[in-house]
Amino acid sequence: MSTYWPWWAGAIGLALITIAYTLATDRSFGVSSAWDRVLHWRSERHLERLEEQFTDDQALADALAAATAEHFGTEPGAPTAQQVPYGETQPRPDVEETAGESPSVTSLRPVPVVTQAALLVSIFIGGWIAAVTSGRFQLRFDMGPGFRNLVTANPTVMIALLFVGGVLVGFGTRLAGGCSSGHGLSGCGRLRPVSIVATAVFFGTAVAVSFLLWKVI
Amino acid sequence: MRTRGAVLLTNIITGLALGYTVTNIGFGDYAELNRMFTFQDLRMLLAFAGAVVIIVCVFALLRVRRNPGRIHVGVIPGAVLFGTGWAISGGCPAIPIIQVASGYLPALVTVAGVVVGIRLCRWANARYFHLDRGSCGL
Repeated sequence: MSTYWPWWAGAIGLALITIAYTLATDRSFGVSSAWDRVLHWRSERHLERLEEQFTDDQALADALAAATAEHFGTEPGAPTAQQVPYGETQPRPDVEETAGESPSVTSLRPVPVVTQAALLVSIFIGGWIAAVTSGRFQLRFDMGPGFRNLVTANPTVMIALLFVGGVLVGFGTRLAGGCSSGHGLSGCGRLRPVSIVATAVFFGTAVAVSFLLWKVI
Repeated sequence: MRTRGAVLLTNIITGLALGYTVTNIGFGDYAELNRMFTFQDLRMLLAFAGAVVIIVCVFALLRVRRNPGRIHVGVIPGAVLFGTGWAISGGCPAIPIIQVASGYLPALVTVAGVVVGIRLCRWANARYFHLDRGSCGL
């Protein structure tokens, strides 16, 4: 069994993943959001179809406006239609950050829900590859000596606590609008106040509960 | 890179890299996680904090646009619930996946809990809270 990565390798790895994703997609990266959208795929697909229809209608309106302007000329001061290729979104100016919320950011369409499902499946495969290649993969019916010593050795209690913990994680991340990747890496990396507050609170709470498990319970 | 295929490819590569990286850092190991939260071992804490520092610097250099977000009433209670659940189960939403991938079969129960919690939150929000919670990962 090999040891875990040193801290600097982990930091570089997590940073590269977040930065590359942001630059490639122009969106923030978040796992809880992917979970949320995949679990509600029916309503998400419905929204996607509506947005595709809206994009088509917008493209048609823009094309008609451009043709009208070309045929009849454009009056001084009249708004000119911006020609946008079919299916493309409006170009977003790469302006510097301002304190206010940029409309170009808020008007971004979510990535397709199927790509979010691919993200979750890929996390599993990536984790499996890491476990196998490092020699740590082992099928087991417990959560390891750490959980056994710190929380419980009783299998029934373990199952109950894992379920309750999972519910708290799922409910909490969606209520807070993000998790350790969305708020912690992407949000704090962008210095978003809401992400800094959320990260401080969830990390502080985890520290308090972990100390309770370690020292008290 | 904005086409559907390109975003799909990006998500696949990102998922593979994230699963590989967090597993090798040790986030799936409950004992390591507890040592991080109780400051007995700063390695994982430094990995996380170091990543944030690198991201802040690179985003500032590249002038990556940001949405400041809104601190609505659900942020702090949600973060408290999440922190509690993370410390108890050892899983933030990505971690139970890699725990299962590493052979920890009981983490399937954590995954089931996450699924129930996420669905419960959307239902409760639509019925009672009516919050515009925003989203970290669009």
